[in-house]
Amino acid sequence: MNKTLKALLIWIGVFVAVILAWNFMRDEPREWRAYEDFTADVEADRVIGVTLHPDQLDVELLDGSSYSVSGSIDPEMAGRLREQEVYVEWGGGDDEGQGCSALFMVWGPVLLIVALWIYFMKRMGGGAGGINAFKLLKSPARLLEEKATATFADVGGSSAAKTQLGDVVSYLRDAKPWTDAGARVPRGILLEGPPGCGKTLLARAVAGETKAKFYYISASEFVEMFVGVGASRVRDLFETARKNAPAVVFIDEIDAVGRRRGSGIGPSHDEREQTLNQLLVCLDGLERNQRVAVIAATNRADILDPALVRPGRIDRRIIIPPYDADERLEILEIHARGKKLAADADLKTIADATEGATGADLESMMNEAALLAVRRSLAAGVKKNIEITAEDLEAALATRSERELAFDRLDMILVESASQMSEVTGRARARFLLADGSRAEGEVVWADAAFIKIHTGDGSRILAKSQIAAVEALAGTEAVGRDDLAPDQLAGRVPGVG
Amino acid sequence: MDAFVLDRLLLLAALWMSLTIHEWAHAWSAFLLGDDTAMRLGRMSFNPLVHVDPIGTFLLPLIGIPFGWAKPVPVNPTRFRQEVSMDMGMLLTAAAGPISNLVLAAVAITAAIAANSLGLAVPSPFDLLLTLLVQLNVILALFNLLPVPPLDGSRIADALMPESLRPAWDSFCSLGPAALLAVILIPGFLGFSPFGWILNAVLQLLP
Repeated sequence: MNKTLKALLIWIGVFVAVILAWNFMRDEPREWRAYEDFTADVEADRVIGVTLHPDQLDVELLDGSSYSVSGSIDPEMAGRLREQEVYVEWGGGDDEGQGCSALFMVWGPVLLIVALWIYFMKRMGGGAGGINAFKLLKSPARLLEEKATATFADVGGSSAAKTQLGDVVSYLRDAKPWTDAGARVPRGILLEGPPGCGKTLLARAVAGETKAKFYYISASEFVEMFVGVGASRVRDLFETARKNAPAVVFIDEIDAVGRRRGSGIGPSHDEREQTLNQLLVCLDGLERNQRVAVIAATNRADILDPALVRPGRIDRRIIIPPYDADERLEILEIHARGKKLAADADLKTIADATEGATGADLESMMNEAALLAVRRSLAAGVKKNIEITAEDLEAALATRSERELAFDRLDMILVESASQMSEVTGRARARFLLADGSRAEGEVVWADAAFIKIHTGDGSRILAKSQIAAVEALAGTEAVGRDDLAPDQLAGRVPGVG
Repeated sequence: MDAFVLDRLLLLAALWMSLTIHEWAHAWSAFLLGDDTAMRLGRMSFNPLVHVDPIGTFLLPLIGIPFGWAKPVPVNPTRFRQEVSMDMGMLLTAAAGPISNLVLAAVAITAAIAANSLGLAVPSPFDLLLTLLVQLNVILALFNLLPVPPLDGSRIADALMPESLRPAWDSFCSLGPAALLAVILIPGFLGFSPFGWILNAVLQLLP
């Protein structure tokens, strides 16, 4: 709209409002008569109502007409009016105290205060870039809805972790047996494991098993740009959890605030340390009978502050190891729920082929397979009863880049044998496609970061990894003899060769 | 309904007219002198809504106080034309506001006298509106001419201040709103109101 026109319209609106108000608010013109007429009417008993104003009487007659007289009623007249059962009412003083103005008088100041308050709140917010100063101090923890929680049945593998968490679940459900026995059930639990290994899922399962409230927060959400906010949020989180006990507080990526204090090079981070201190105090403040469990998750447990993981605080460390083939199968079966598998689809082969995969990897793989199945079926014109076939599973596995996959499979041959020492089927044989197009085939003798040595039929050969375009495993899960190999703790944790 | 709402509406209308003219005059004078900052912010407009300050433009008239203020118009003195010095430009743009109010008051008085002499003097809302306009604009002009920051008068004083008095003036300015509060409150405590005298004199002019 034209700007001038807009301004004009606003002004017209204002004046129209003024004129309307003028017309509505003028008192209707009244007929004025002499006081004697009023007395005469009273004598004749024609009056049915009188409204009293200061120095003015509004008189209503039987025939419906009305008029005003100036003056007031003396006691004698009042007596006569009462005798004749005339309706007398007090019409109030001047305009004030009536109708709209009374409303304004009462609500005006309240309105004023509210308006001022809103105005200044906005001002304050505006100064800090639109951040509400009060909301800032609240913990941003989210309460997970009950239907969003999981149960232990949804968690594949991790049986050791489940057992340990089972104590906590039992305690949150019914604390009596534990307290009667004088046992202090650890309520601070540190879940430790590589990314995507199901730490969050385990914590959700604890909440789901106990029907407790589940508060979820990422530790990095505590710390904001303002000093003191983090500590305040910690307090708020624990207060809320305590009020709503039984509750599970899940702090994800706790290393964001739980880093060892006063260490390292460079200036210390006061705000983070303050937050950590508050966290320590709040953990101490969880009294024995308060049914609040704190579950923290991290994949950098080595850098946590010793005070955080001392007994009495987050003292129970549950390390979630990489899954073995059986656990992977279990996880795949969980994720295959609700999906139709064709008769030829064998999850076992997939479980065997996914060494080092985390729960998240497996879930994503099953989903990928389902997507492929739908795509394939739709292309074939089938819309119902879509089944995931072995082909889909294979294709889902193959979505990772070819070269990466090739090395993964080589790694798999070498590492699975070392970490699991199960099902020895002989030496690993592999076929290599080299960059120059030639092929090589043989038993893998050893491999390091850059080279692979293989025994071919008529001797051995060293291949540079950079020259290898593709690898195909032919046989074997055992590259190193079981008896030659000392159990290596590291081997299970590092999914790689050399 | 009663006269109360009418009173408030009239006050609102009169205040909006006065403040809109005032702020428009700032923006327009700045534009004439070469600074288009306010114009490009859309402030060179007779639309009252672009000048609104929630307290000074809405709340005060609604609770019946015949006074108010609007959102300040930004002026960038470095954008004035070459031949206008920054001091002079600021003086002119600052003075434009109060002058516009005086002009509006004069127009209102003339209109009232004209209406009266033409025999149009039936009681009407415009009668009341003209009286209010005179009252408001005289108060606004005088008040804004006070040489106290952040009023328009302080900008005029700032431009005219001789170098010898500048340190004293600067320290006075650093008092900020406290100085303004004192200037408003002290005459009240002492029981005399120069504004009231002038206002009464002006209102005598009305028929």
